Amino acid sequence: MRAWAASVEEVFREASARWTLLAYFALSTLFILIFALAVNLDIVNGALAGAKLFGKEMDLGGSKIDLDQLVLGFETGFSGFLYGLGTFLALFATAHLVPRLQEKGTVDLYLSRPVGRTKLLLSRYCGGLLLAAANLLYLIGSIWLIVFWKTGVAHPRFLLGGVVILFTVACLVAFAFLVGVVTSSTAVSLMVTYAIFFFAVLLSAHDKIAAAVSSTFSANLVKTLYWIFPKTAELGQATISLVSGGMHGVRLADPFAVYASTALFGLVSLLLASWRFSRKDF
Amino acid sequence: MTPVIRAEGLRKVYRSRFGTRRVNALDGIDLSVGPGEVFGLLGPNGAGKTTAVKILLGLTRPTGGSARLFDVPVADPESRRRVGYLPEGHRFPGYLTARETLSIFGRMSGMERAVLKARIPELLARVRLSDWADVKVKKFSKGMTQRLGLAAALVHDPEVLLLDEPTDGVDPVGRREIRDLLRAEAARGRAILLNSHLLSEIELTCDRVAVLRRGKVAAEGRIADLTAQSSGSTAAGAGPRDLSPRRYRMTASPMDDVLVSAFRESGASVERVNGHLVIGTRDLAHLNALVDTLRARGALLAELAPVRSTLEDVFVDLVRTGDAGENVQ
Repeated sequence: MRAWAASVEEVFREASARWTLLAYFALSTLFILIFALAVNLDIVNGALAGAKLFGKEMDLGGSKIDLDQLVLGFETGFSGFLYGLGTFLALFATAHLVPRLQEKGTVDLYLSRPVGRTKLLLSRYCGGLLLAAANLLYLIGSIWLIVFWKTGVAHPRFLLGGVVILFTVACLVAFAFLVGVVTSSTAVSLMVTYAIFFFAVLLSAHDKIAAAVSSTFSANLVKTLYWIFPKTAELGQATISLVSGGMHGVRLADPFAVYASTALFGLVSLLLASWRFSRKDF
Repeated sequence: MTPVIRAEGLRKVYRSRFGTRRVNALDGIDLSVGPGEVFGLLGPNGAGKTTAVKILLGLTRPTGGSARLFDVPVADPESRRRVGYLPEGHRFPGYLTARETLSIFGRMSGMERAVLKARIPELLARVRLSDWADVKVKKFSKGMTQRLGLAAALVHDPEVLLLDEPTDGVDPVGRREIRDLLRAEAARGRAILLNSHLLSEIELTCDRVAVLRRGKVAAEGRIADLTAQSSGSTAAGAGPRDLSPRRYRMTASPMDDVLVSAFRESGASVERVNGHLVIGTRDLAHLNALVDTLRARGALLAELAPVRSTLEDVFVDLVRTGDAGENVQ
């Protein structure tokens, strides 16, 4: 446990030393401050009577808007934005963890300690996830508090959106670790993982693609790839759906399949990364 | 004395990515180091020294043979619980201070924070880094980094030390201090395996050495025995190398050509080197006969001493002889 804690601590120290952590939190803080200072709402009897954005009066068409619906709409839209931003930032902040560990002159220092290789890799994985979780909590929690402070409306579902984002991050970081173990390159880890993210978004239209291709083999290949890769588009929809409570017409057809297949992708990636790392000669 | 480091028939074959090329890094070496012993591993570049150390630490898997630390197979991480390692060209995270580095690596070796709190200042003082305890490692000179590496290897008070070029980049005073530190650790019963190119350091620090050449042990033994064998001053067949006749350095007055000719006539080989004679004799009786010849001619003997090889002589001789042998084959 001591070794585990030391390894996680080192991940955080490294992140702060490399400015990753600071940049991560500075960007989040900037976003939160803009949001907190730019929006001024005039609330009368639980409804929005007027609003100012950057000090400029907004035209609400003369009618009073239901504040709860307004907040829900904002949080729904913002959660979709946060899904993309949070995932990208988390990958950027953690992709170097394995390549740096495997650097010549560094890996010997860690592996010469009485810590199993799998344990060492998993401790760094957990450190990376904690880093991502801390930032998501800070970003989502702050926005939620500001919304509550400005409107008095609190939707706990908005906070739950962070759980889906963290789930997506966990699966993608596992894949980035696998690429990192095999290639020892941060750049390649990032490029391949981002490529998988976008490729998986394209594959969300697998039914249409399969119908458009000429051969049965190609159609089956597209469907197989769809089920192998993480469901990044669907998880984005799941985040929005969770935050909106299904109010905005975004519902997953088969949520269990989406979560289970993505979790399997992450788990297999992590298992392969551990297996390869534990068999590697340094 | 039960060895704490033991390797038997250790082999390592490196294969290229597609298996088209094979390199025998280690070809069946045996090693054993006991408690309180400082053992030096020598060899030219590519001889297999670092591979041997990496196998002992579980960093690399052997192709054949077995390696154990404290009778625990090296594949088991527990075998490293009582081992301190200083790798060559190590790179500690530059963003950590010396104190943080020792804290993190100490805890990774299973130490408690409370114990480390007392242990770290003591260790930093021992390697003369107390004033630099809270300075980031990236600001350290090479010698300071090396001393920090030694402190990190010692942080959990290990019973075995595996050190790869421990004095690399360290100034002469620092080298002396490291030597003294290693001797002190050996006196406490710690087994030390030292891997170094600095043969003079090895000669001053180690009790026993093994010279590796092309993955095999070319010679092994106490330094005094190896250097004596190379000088030819031990009995024939006592060791792996016996270079008779025995050689002595002689200074006498006068040391003219007549005297040299008389020595040569008796069967001795004679060379003039920097104002003295280097004489090769058959045996001790032959040497005494030469002294008698010298005195009979009225010359005065000023110095007579056996020529001893340095470890470097032994090393170079072994490597060159081996290479020549392989070229002939």
